[in-house]
Amino acid sequence: MRFTHKKEASMISTGLAIKVLNEALATGGDYGEIYLEETDAGSVMLENGKVETAGRRKSYGAGIRVLQKNASVYGYTSDLSEKSLINLAHGLANRFSDKPLFTVKSIEKQHVKVTNRIEDHLKDVAIEDKIAICRECYGVSSAVDKRIVRIQNVFTDDFKRIEIFSAEGEVGKRYENTEERGRLVMVVVASDNGKIETCFNGPGRYAGWKWFKDILDYKSVAKETAEKAIMMLTAAECPSGRFPVVITNGWGGVLFHEACGHSLEATATAKKLSVFSDSIGKQIASPLVSAYDDGTLPNEWGSNNVDSEGHVTQKNQLIKDGICVGFLVDKFNGRRLNMEANGVSRRQSYRYEPTSRMSNTYIAPGKDKAEDIIKDTKLGIFVANFGGGSVNPATGEFNFSACEAYIIRGGKVCEPVRGCTLIGSGKEVLLNIDRVGDDVGLGQGMCGSSSGSVPVNVGQPTIRISEITVGGRGGKLQ
Amino acid sequence: MKFDKFFALAKEKGLSEAQIQISKTKSTSINLFHHEIDNFSIADTQSIIACGVVNGKFGISRTEKMGRDTFEFLVDGIIESARVNEKAEEVDLFKGSPKYHKKNVFSQALADADLKDTLVLLHKIEDDLYAYDKSITEVDSVAFEESEGFSEFYNSYGLKLKQRSNFFYIVGSAVAKKGEEVKTNYDICLSNDLQAFDEKAFVNGIGEGLIKKFGGTQCDAGKYPTVLKDDIFSHLLGYFLESVSSDEIQRHSSCLEGKLGQKIASSKLTISEKPLQKNVFFSYFDDEGVATSNKDIIKKGVLKTYLYNRETAKKDGVESTGNGSWAGNKIGIGFGNVIVKGSKRSFEEMISKVEKGVYITEIEGLGTGMNPHSGDFSCQAEGFMIRDGKIAEPLNLITLSGNLFKMLADIKSFDNKMKLHPSSFACTDVLIKKMAIGGK
Repeated sequence: MRFTHKKEASMISTGLAIKVLNEALATGGDYGEIYLEETDAGSVMLENGKVETAGRRKSYGAGIRVLQKNASVYGYTSDLSEKSLINLAHGLANRFSDKPLFTVKSIEKQHVKVTNRIEDHLKDVAIEDKIAICRECYGVSSAVDKRIVRIQNVFTDDFKRIEIFSAEGEVGKRYENTEERGRLVMVVVASDNGKIETCFNGPGRYAGWKWFKDILDYKSVAKETAEKAIMMLTAAECPSGRFPVVITNGWGGVLFHEACGHSLEATATAKKLSVFSDSIGKQIASPLVSAYDDGTLPNEWGSNNVDSEGHVTQKNQLIKDGICVGFLVDKFNGRRLNMEANGVSRRQSYRYEPTSRMSNTYIAPGKDKAEDIIKDTKLGIFVANFGGGSVNPATGEFNFSACEAYIIRGGKVCEPVRGCTLIGSGKEVLLNIDRVGDDVGLGQGMCGSSSGSVPVNVGQPTIRISEITVGGRGGKLQ
Repeated sequence: MKFDKFFALAKEKGLSEAQIQISKTKSTSINLFHHEIDNFSIADTQSIIACGVVNGKFGISRTEKMGRDTFEFLVDGIIESARVNEKAEEVDLFKGSPKYHKKNVFSQALADADLKDTLVLLHKIEDDLYAYDKSITEVDSVAFEESEGFSEFYNSYGLKLKQRSNFFYIVGSAVAKKGEEVKTNYDICLSNDLQAFDEKAFVNGIGEGLIKKFGGTQCDAGKYPTVLKDDIFSHLLGYFLESVSSDEIQRHSSCLEGKLGQKIASSKLTISEKPLQKNVFFSYFDDEGVATSNKDIIKKGVLKTYLYNRETAKKDGVESTGNGSWAGNKIGIGFGNVIVKGSKRSFEEMISKVEKGVYITEIEGLGTGMNPHSGDFSCQAEGFMIRDGKIAEPLNLITLSGNLFKMLADIKSFDNKMKLHPSSFACTDVLIKKMAIGGK
């Protein structure tokens, strides 16, 4: 195995892993797994240019999972002593009452290809250097306008070391992996005449220090964040009704993430609880739409070398020319679906049982130019940035909130509006996409679901939805 | 003392004051699907937060890893954290409140409850949900979790505080289909008295709510007298209380700055925080070791107090209100057991004079649709029309938009059905003069 960091000792010995797996599988489990994690996370926060808090946190523990056909048992502990792990495995095994199907005799170490290479670890960088970047961002943002009353700048980094022991026969497997991500978060608050507006930006990456220091144009992000907060002070209320909406590239992909991505996760489709449960081979989107979930994109925010079960991450096509061609499948839910796991099993930490989750999900580029899409829209809304959204996979009904939106009039982007929410059903909105641009971009977010909060990229080119329900307090669109 | 070595090491390495908090949690959870346990989970974890003062500066460190070098990791982390801290104000740790109102809220009966009996109850919920109506095609989850927590607080002034608590929750969730129309509904019950759980009422509540949703359409966009269901109102109030945080006030990012003692809401509104109320949210000390107390936050529409921790209280020259709560690496402002006073009117009486309005029973997307600083919000919603003082046809895929502060000023009345929510808020349904509804 090739690692770019100093190799550290195993969190538990192979001998103990075999013992724990056999204890867990003693009552007829057909799959046993120990997930060990040690995370070293740090953050520093500046309020109006001064360091207000800084600290490091160590997360440490093990999650043990046993599967027997379509049932799973899961347990976790922060105590990795032999006694604690055996006790936990025993407690989990108690849920079944059959004879063991096999005894684990040996463990084979698996090669994990490092597709996300990092040369300069964030945890090794002096905190003063991280503070300096935050302070530069503060300087740029605060110079934008006197009405800016508060600026928060935060740098977070997260180094996660993982070991997985799993067995479904006499010879078990062992995987080692590391994950490392950093994020530069900025929040600007502007106030005028009792009105308060906020703007947020948080570029992040599975990357080392060089990317943050030399590649990320953090000063431009800081300037833009402050300018947007000021602009929103004078924005009018968003109108409500049903009309065309053009959605920007990059972070605009949260539309696809909510409207479709969650409903294609095996977590929802396996139990037939998703609107798209029986959709493979069927048209679920406009023929202009093709979409992927790709955990292999080097060093992207949602990427990884292997998933939480040890499967190598993949580029999975979900939609081809409007036809549903795949789901995101983890090991457990794959059993109900009779489908192979495709490298998408994720969890926030050892405290969560893994399940199918998105990584870097995006709509593929089309042929239109973004400016032409705007030019061809007589009256509608242009959404330039979203706060986020949510979905009910069973009904497909979703919502997302725009934090930066404008009226389009006569093919031109005009005045800004605030308080804009888009709602609809995934089935309807995907079919209503009538223009797809050629300018794919990615945006970083945190996605919350049953296996916790995980970093994901959302992405898309500029797209237009011919008609969608827009909610706001500004009356009719004129 | 149990943590003598920690305090000795802290002193040796130059900390003038130190504090350590240990939280231990044990939990068991079960999920049923298609009459089988499809998920069973057990957990046993502990975590430590340690903080201290070095040269007048505050530092913090936290870990879940217990071992020989744990105290060293914590103390070194505090020193590193304090080294870069640039806050001008000198800080100190708390010596202790004159009196603490400790109560025993641990339910031995819940701790002793046999999981086999609980399983019987869960199966009954699942069976009864399937039997409730033939349109119910899936009971997608019947889940149970029992959790026991034990927290300890020690500091170098000899302050020692301990609290033990436990709770359970039951979630029921079902899917119904009529033709192409799919509806879902769920409910959560959180308590520590399993004997008092009313299975029949729980199932009927989910079933009835689910069936009523069929045939939902969008109403015309416009402004309507609006009734918000209790849990939605409590959700919105959570954001409002962020504006009452003295930290937000002092940083000029709350609309309530300078409004203390002023009328900021309808005179129908009285909000109290009662952390000493004996229930699963009971807490007799905050994260700084300050004794908590019951208090009015808004009384008849007048803002009575901001919520303070020790640092913000010192800035305003007042006493901490016992609302210090860890927020990342700093002590922020927290709250629990928030109670909104209801009225004597029934729900039917409350809506009897609404000629044409809406009753919002569910919202989605408030997390991203709310600007907590300005109070502006917009989110997905569903519910029912109110016509001639009665609940009429269902509404689906509408939006609810408004401003939190305007909404509180526009409260017309409450009903009399008080409910305690998992968010630790207790309130009733509320009628607002007018709110913006987006639809057709």
